[in-house]
Amino acid sequence: MDANYGQTHKVRRGIAGFFMNFVLLAFSISCIFPLVWMLYSSFKEKRAFNADVMGLPTKPTLINYTRILSNSDYHLGQSMWNSVRTTAISIILIVAFSFIVGYILSRVKFKLNRVLYIMFLMGMLIPIHSLLVPIYIVFQRCGISNQWFTLLLPYVSFGLPMGIFLVEGYVKTIPISLEEAAAIDGSSFSYTLWHIIFPICQPILVTVAIIQVFSCWNEFSFALVLIKDVALQTVPLALTQFKGQFASDYPKQMAAMLLTMAPIVVLYFAFSKQIIKGMVAGAVKG
Amino acid sequence: MLNSIKPKGRTVFLYLVIPVAAFIFTVFIPLITSLVYSFFDWKGGPNKSFIGLDNYAQLFKDSTFWLAFSHNIYLVIACIIGQIGIAFVLVLMINSRLVKLKTMHRTFGFFPSTIAAVCIGLIWNMIYHNKYGLINSFLEAIGRKDLCQVWLNNTKLVMLLVTIPLIWQYIGYYMVILLSAISSISTEVLESAEIDGATGFQKAIYITLPLIKNTVLVCVTLCIAGNMKAFDNIYVMTAGGPGNASMVMAMYGYQVSFGQSNMGYGSCISVAIFVLSLIVIGGSQFLINYITREKEA
Repeated sequence: MDANYGQTHKVRRGIAGFFMNFVLLAFSISCIFPLVWMLYSSFKEKRAFNADVMGLPTKPTLINYTRILSNSDYHLGQSMWNSVRTTAISIILIVAFSFIVGYILSRVKFKLNRVLYIMFLMGMLIPIHSLLVPIYIVFQRCGISNQWFTLLLPYVSFGLPMGIFLVEGYVKTIPISLEEAAAIDGSSFSYTLWHIIFPICQPILVTVAIIQVFSCWNEFSFALVLIKDVALQTVPLALTQFKGQFASDYPKQMAAMLLTMAPIVVLYFAFSKQIIKGMVAGAVKG
Repeated sequence: MLNSIKPKGRTVFLYLVIPVAAFIFTVFIPLITSLVYSFFDWKGGPNKSFIGLDNYAQLFKDSTFWLAFSHNIYLVIACIIGQIGIAFVLVLMINSRLVKLKTMHRTFGFFPSTIAAVCIGLIWNMIYHNKYGLINSFLEAIGRKDLCQVWLNNTKLVMLLVTIPLIWQYIGYYMVILLSAISSISTEVLESAEIDGATGFQKAIYITLPLIKNTVLVCVTLCIAGNMKAFDNIYVMTAGGPGNASMVMAMYGYQVSFGQSNMGYGSCISVAIFVLSLIVIGGSQFLINYITREKEA
């Protein structure tokens, strides 16, 4: 009797285990499949792709890549550079400002402290897509739309609130006696800030940077509204243009997308553990 | 003691002035601007005329705008059920001792959420494409060519079809968040429930779910905020079409302001997006607090 029960139990566990593994594998494969499909399809010629959209390339070719990169009309290299520059400068500014403002809001008592705190808190709650039209109007008025630095302002401003609150929460866990000791030893405010607090805050600043790399690199709507010059467009904008130009040439479109995704994909698979941890921390605490 | 580390007012001012000024300039000035221009008839040219609340009167009667709003609500509900619901089920499975390759599922599952919404939209365009799309070539392969169609031109299906990529993209994201919450539950609680004879389903509903309630609420809030601002996918996949069958608020605001260059009315729509999003986000928070308080009492 007992042995029989154990037997059925084992079978049931086996079926359940198989079912769960199957579902999760199906899910994981669905997540990675588009990338794999695009990767091998981008080595096919248009005609080969149209004949068989799923098949592996029979005669692998680099023609899609060479065509995209050699044709200066597509501005792909320029767009990549624009994205890299915008993302890099935005990240540096976001990290630096988040650190400064977060630290000051958490430690220094002054009249406007609460006002600023609430202002940045509101920044997190404001639905930023309601700013799409007015930000265009304001930037147009001030003559700062359609410049190489245009996108820095919205990216830094929208990234700040979350960064500030992550830093602010982190600084609270640092014992204040540390700064008191530094002050007794004659360290100035700025020296303490950059030489003592900054190194301690590094983990949280890395988290802030990780979150913002993805949101800056992938941001589309504000770039769409604020950038009109093809030579200034970022990667997502360039891709929407390819959609029109390569409407029926999917392998070429895939090659272009893979090129623009490459930095993110490499970064993700190289540091996936830290990135996932950082993004989750940002989402839950922020 | 504290005084010794208190910096001079001037130092604090110098540190704060740039970020605070930039923030006010890009967030609050545009907000005020849109409020001001929403009272004007302005077609983007040099001429503006003050028309009071006329834009708002038009907005109340604008069926396209309210259709777009209802689509945003549809997205929110579909994504709460689809993203968080599926994520929760997957998390329960992944936590089972019988499942292998846990790290791989996490890494692969999370991956789509790191890709630009524009790319996701373009990829799904390829999947839906009538000639070279994966769905139609699959249907052809299994001999059901009669079911092939231009998917994104189907007015009845288009909302569902643009929602699927959105749901798919973020399942892994919520899965990972829920997973990190569940890993903090002590295994003793679940084991003792198991000894008491609780089934997997009972454990999930009566033990796991209440213990990660707060994280689930964070996920719901993220989901609502994320879908009220849906724009990128829609822009790439359908641009709100066919007709207005997949129009969402941000897309409509964009179309009115830049397609028709009706900046006055576009500003009015921006104000409406702002107010409605806050109402939906705030309202849902209130509702969630109300419901959970009821249960605890």
